[in-house]
Amino acid sequence: MTETLPNPAASNAAGLADTLAGDPRFKEILDRLVAMSERDYYDPYRLFQWPEQVVEDAYWMSPELMTVHGTAVGDRLEEAQLRALSKWESVNFYSLNVHGIRELLTEIVARIHQPGYALTSEYFHHIIGEENEHMWFFATFCLKYAGKIYPDRSLAFAGPGIPEADTFLVFSRLLIFEELVDVFNQKMGNDERLDPTIRKINAVHHQDESRHIAFGRQIVALLHAELRRTLTVPQLAELEAYLKRYLRSSAESLCNPAAFRDAGIAEPYAARRETLADPAFEEFVARVLKRSTSFLAAEQVLSDERIPAL
Amino acid sequence: MTDHISTETAAAAAKPDLVLSYLLARRPDLTSIEEDLDLIENRIIDSLSFVNFLYVLEEATGEPISLDEVSPEDFRTLRRIRERFLGGRPAA
Repeated sequence: MTETLPNPAASNAAGLADTLAGDPRFKEILDRLVAMSERDYYDPYRLFQWPEQVVEDAYWMSPELMTVHGTAVGDRLEEAQLRALSKWESVNFYSLNVHGIRELLTEIVARIHQPGYALTSEYFHHIIGEENEHMWFFATFCLKYAGKIYPDRSLAFAGPGIPEADTFLVFSRLLIFEELVDVFNQKMGNDERLDPTIRKINAVHHQDESRHIAFGRQIVALLHAELRRTLTVPQLAELEAYLKRYLRSSAESLCNPAAFRDAGIAEPYAARRETLADPAFEEFVARVLKRSTSFLAAEQVLSDERIPAL
Repeated sequence: MTDHISTETAAAAAKPDLVLSYLLARRPDLTSIEEDLDLIENRIIDSLSFVNFLYVLEEATGEPISLDEVSPEDFRTLRRIRERFLGGRPAA
């Protein structure tokens, strides 16, 4: 019986190629992104100065982007504790970047020059090169100024179980990750309260990510349009529920008990629980995910922008 | 020394409840969770909620858990979690 079934990989590849080639604007956008990557190419190994230290007793990330901002936990902290927490939350943020880029590289490398990806492979070369460099400067920052990268705390179990949507979910997760990070990069790259080295890694990352996000938005929109044509309403609802949970879990990953512990905050797990349950954290989640939820709702991936608790 | 052990034992006895309470809170449709119920198959633990569960478990055990040393199978049932992380203490 098994051998009479169509090869899902082959049929998916053909379908994927058709989907991506179906919109002539996608090819134009890819060509433009390749040209921009070539035009803006820089050598990261020479771009950063890496001074011996960054100013220790200062904010390492914009206070408004700290997970405790406006929460009862944050209100109880002294200014010095908040500054210490800003250091460790920023190290957690860059650590999440390192691990997120690992997932991104793994997924893109698995697809480059494989069936179905003829159109995108040229730009994949640029993404792979640029993301490798981003991972290097985020890791360098963590190791040089904090002495560590926080470990990845994720473990993969089975996803929604809709094989036709696997590629869509991969690119959706990557896009959500990049958009969330970029909200931080954009603000911290221009925040005069932060050390120039901190501003620079954020500003440089923001410049490159704007291209990756443009690509991500295009491919996610195209893939979901095809899924709307082929999947059932309950299957689409399951994808939406999964992505909402992914969005929430991404925002919650910014709040790490290890950062509380390193900042000298007592009972770090209880502090995290209290932070996540605080109404101000709900506002934080909505704010840092706004760009993603607006886009996904506009593309009919989400039916509304509410992100419920896990 | 005896006091130290008895204090630890009392605290340890209470800690597994933290794990079960957390899982039950996530699934209001369940009133109890059998020791051998497959937590992954039944979506009581999944990728997206895993880190929150990990933090509950770390709080219960009192120490960070390195994911380099565990596999998804270590989280499949309450019995396995108890054996692997809670020194065999009941998780209910």
